[in-house]
Amino acid sequence: MNTELNRESLLKAYRMMRTIREFEERVHTDFATGEIPGFVHLYAGEEASATGVCMHLSGNDYIASTHRGHGHCIAKGVDPAGMMAEIWGKETGTCKGKGGSMHIADLSKGMLGANGIVGGGGPLICGTALAAKLRGDKTVGVCFFGDGASNQGTILEAMNLATVWNLPAIFVAENNGYAETTSPNYSVACENIADRAAAFGMPGVIVDGFDFFAVYEAAGEAVKRAREGGGPTLIEVKVSRYYGHFEGDQQKYRAEGEVQKLRNEKDCLMQFRRHVTADGDISAAELDAIDAEVLAMIDDSVVRAKADPKPGPEELLTDVYVSY
Amino acid sequence: MNCLLPTDFDRHDDVIVGVIANPASGRDIRRLTAKASVFTAAEKANMVQRLLGPFGALGVDRVMIMPDSSGIAATVERSAQINRSRGESVWPLIEQVKMKSTGGVEDSQNAARIMRDAGARAIVVLGGDGTHRVIAKVVPELPMATLSTGTNNVFPDWREATVTGIATALHVTGRIDPSITLRRNKQLRVNLGEYTDIALVDVCVTRLTHVGARAVWDPDTIAELFVAFAEPDAIGLSSIAAMINPLTRDEPRGLCLRCGTEGRRVLAAIAPGVLETVVIDHCEIMQPGVRYAIRTERGSIALDGEREIEFHRGQVPRVTLELNGPPTLDVSSTLAAAARLGVMATPCAREMLR
Amino acid sequence: MARKITYQQAINEALDQEMSRDPSVIVMGEDNAGGEGSPGEMDAWGGVLGVTKGLYHKHPGRVLDTPISESAFIGAAIGAACNGLRPVAELMFVDFMGVCFDQIFNQAAKFRYMFGGKAETPVVIRTMYGAGFRAAAQHSQCLYSLFTHVPGLKVVVPSNPYDAKGLLIESIRDNDPVIFFENKVLYTMEGEVPEEIYTVPFGEAAILREGDDVTIVALGRMVNMAQEAAEALQKDGIHCEIIDPRTTSPLDEETILESVEKTGRLVVVDEANPRCSMASDIAGLVVRKAFGALKAPIEQVTAPHVPPPFSDVLEDLYVPNAAKIERAVTRVAEYR
Ligand SMILES: Cc1ncc(C[n+]2csc(CCOP(=O)(O)OP(=O)(O)O)c2C)c(N)n1
Ligand SMILES: [Mg+2]
Repeated sequence: MNTELNRESLLKAYRMMRTIREFEERVHTDFATGEIPGFVHLYAGEEASATGVCMHLSGNDYIASTHRGHGHCIAKGVDPAGMMAEIWGKETGTCKGKGGSMHIADLSKGMLGANGIVGGGGPLICGTALAAKLRGDKTVGVCFFGDGASNQGTILEAMNLATVWNLPAIFVAENNGYAETTSPNYSVACENIADRAAAFGMPGVIVDGFDFFAVYEAAGEAVKRAREGGGPTLIEVKVSRYYGHFEGDQQKYRAEGEVQKLRNEKDCLMQFRRHVTADGDISAAELDAIDAEVLAMIDDSVVRAKADPKPGPEELLTDVYVSY
Repeated sequence: MNCLLPTDFDRHDDVIVGVIANPASGRDIRRLTAKASVFTAAEKANMVQRLLGPFGALGVDRVMIMPDSSGIAATVERSAQINRSRGESVWPLIEQVKMKSTGGVEDSQNAARIMRDAGARAIVVLGGDGTHRVIAKVVPELPMATLSTGTNNVFPDWREATVTGIATALHVTGRIDPSITLRRNKQLRVNLGEYTDIALVDVCVTRLTHVGARAVWDPDTIAELFVAFAEPDAIGLSSIAAMINPLTRDEPRGLCLRCGTEGRRVLAAIAPGVLETVVIDHCEIMQPGVRYAIRTERGSIALDGEREIEFHRGQVPRVTLELNGPPTLDVSSTLAAAARLGVMATPCAREMLR
Repeated sequence: MARKITYQQAINEALDQEMSRDPSVIVMGEDNAGGEGSPGEMDAWGGVLGVTKGLYHKHPGRVLDTPISESAFIGAAIGAACNGLRPVAELMFVDFMGVCFDQIFNQAAKFRYMFGGKAETPVVIRTMYGAGFRAAAQHSQCLYSLFTHVPGLKVVVPSNPYDAKGLLIESIRDNDPVIFFENKVLYTMEGEVPEEIYTVPFGEAAILREGDDVTIVALGRMVNMAQEAAEALQKDGIHCEIIDPRTTSPLDEETILESVEKTGRLVVVDEANPRCSMASDIAGLVVRKAFGALKAPIEQVTAPHVPPPFSDVLEDLYVPNAAKIERAVTRVAEYR
């Protein structure tokens, strides 16, 4: 039964969510100093989604991510220090500094890449799932995508294909209420993204993305179904993001106090802590210790990222079959 | 006035009916763990429109409808306009309740309060057990006409909206006596310290310590079950009780079951398309007004099939059967009475048989 | 009256003035106003970098924000153009052409010819291109040659605020589909721009500097770099002639050929990758049509044949710059 979590798993989930949060808060602060280049999209606020899903996955399962990919990467086991170095454009980065925040990938961990193209991951996950199905190895593919991406043809085509081929694929729609400035109230023609599942012949369910347990349970059932050959599932995770679309966004399209209210009332880490400490099985002190460890680890990754060398000029012309 | 029947009923006020179609009903995890049905927004909008013909024909003046972002209310309003512009309308006036939608259960509750305060004589609710429960919680004395569009549909009627529309109109226009049109339901009240909540069908205590994805689909997680009524042809958790000791909606009793590893094995349809075995080691009749203590040390409590409350060591939630639950429209007896009394027929039509 | 405004303001002004003049002009794209359905302000962004800011309130009902469905809304702009409107649709970054190219190259581009001259498709697709933002492989490409390859499309690549305004107005009034390439680094570039409405015709290159020694043909952002290089080379006694084609389709072949006839030496500067590029296309043109005039091999200064890298050091190496142009020009000038 997937719904029962032992102590160890609870601590693992907490560490995962805390790592994502700390990582993002840190990138946010450092970005403000002007030292981090490029477009950076932060996942803070949505941690329970990546964690609730990826807790069911092993290294052989694949995920495809989005431009808001840091959380998915961490949850799938990509090394945060390598990610930090990548974001800083360093040679020691996950992609040698050639990809940046929007393209962090680690195929050895089943992480098929963050993606700069909205909706880019859907078809790819059909591919990894097809390979898994033909090999019969019981692995699955998970495509994370946003409410905005839910309107992209690639995602809709991929969902159809996944049912046509009965693929072990899970589509996780992270509905954080905005695509850049535009609300799904405007851009999504039906009430829920999950409503579309019926049209593709797959189950569609909605879960509260601030509640780790809700995501965990739904993902558990979907992953189980996929592994058993039951086919694809669409899970709509209703959530929000704590920061702008990208760093530097003034967010004038948001309501005043919106994020503060969510942080105060719904925050996934806050809820998780309250929940697991209520019965005294896990103490607040244990969780605080994890917080401290994570903080130290992130601090260290930043110190290293800053000190690490940039890629050498020869790197410009490598990793392509030939360069002219 | 569009009304097709004599209007010799009490009409010093507009006859107002509220309609709440929950756009979110029918999207929970049971779409995944079972084969629960999916009602589209378009079908919900159709159902609402099927109410409007009878409403207009039988003298309802105004219909207040809950706004939503899935376009149910908007579709209905648009059809009403077309209907009116063609001049063939027998529909009542349609108005969307002025309120802010949040997309959550509060929407249904806010709409219900506003409708009550505006003088609605009944609300037609399109939803599952959960939708009816949250509405009954805030407007306990306002009659509900129930229509199933949810996941667990034990409490509401499975029936054609047109017929529900006729019965509702006969009730709100006072053509048939409320002693016939309305039925008083039982309900289960859960108390946990200061906190109190209700269920209309069943209260299920699970060993899962979190509310999580809400539904209860794994029989191994069920610890205790309290039911207000148990119909053998129903689906969901109450069907477990029904297979041991059926209980009608009218008898002043409930049932309390406790699960164990040894005892009576019961095979029941706990979700659409899903039969599961549950082992029951204790079963007792609940008397109204008596507070039954939950024995499970920690876990969560599902109200009408959805986990709502988490409780921890040292806390003892209690469950009470109450007989003064929400009034609902009894569509069968209303229409039977309409036939008996000749409400829908002219006197000469009735003479045909003599 | 001319005053100094930015490239970005020039584009905004062109849209504003054409919308005021012609009610059939509409603007659409992702977050072109911003805030639809959201609890805060409308026109919250005015496009991802603010280029269309203010149009939403000024032209009610004519600035449409779209779902992230490029195939659908770019295609819809094309369809609307077939039915009497003059839509200006924004494809935010040209890198996103991948999800909507069919509507552009199989539909819009083909209509007039394929339907025997009976169709007109007056649509403009504005799109951002170019490296320099540390925006990595999928947000930095320079893809105008892909569009230039397709018969039926007109392709515009303005290099300064004056041209941006005049060419955009020309694009809106043109009856063929036009792809309008805006370099994101140039948005803040200032220049003299008349307040009045004016047009810059397609297929007329600008000669930005006259010289007898080497012809430099440069596009978009590269024009400025070429000018910088030419300034420095002047001191070494090398006099460059700089030609900005301004539109790659139609291409002003004559101006380029005339210049090469005079100098006999050619350097083509193109921010795009080198294979099948504007650089190779123009070099090919000159070899075919002015072979006799050439006194030296043609040099191309382009990005290397790799995707745009993220790290600043690599991206700076990737994009052509004045120093690289100077070296190329010197080699060509000194060739005997
Ligand atoms: C094909 C494509 N179109 C547009 C964009 C520009 N863009 C980047 S992120 C984004 C919004 C995505 O919204 P959503 O899918 O809800 O994800 P979120 O940012 O909320 O995580 C847009 C429009 C893009 N990167 N790719
Ligand atoms: Mg979003």
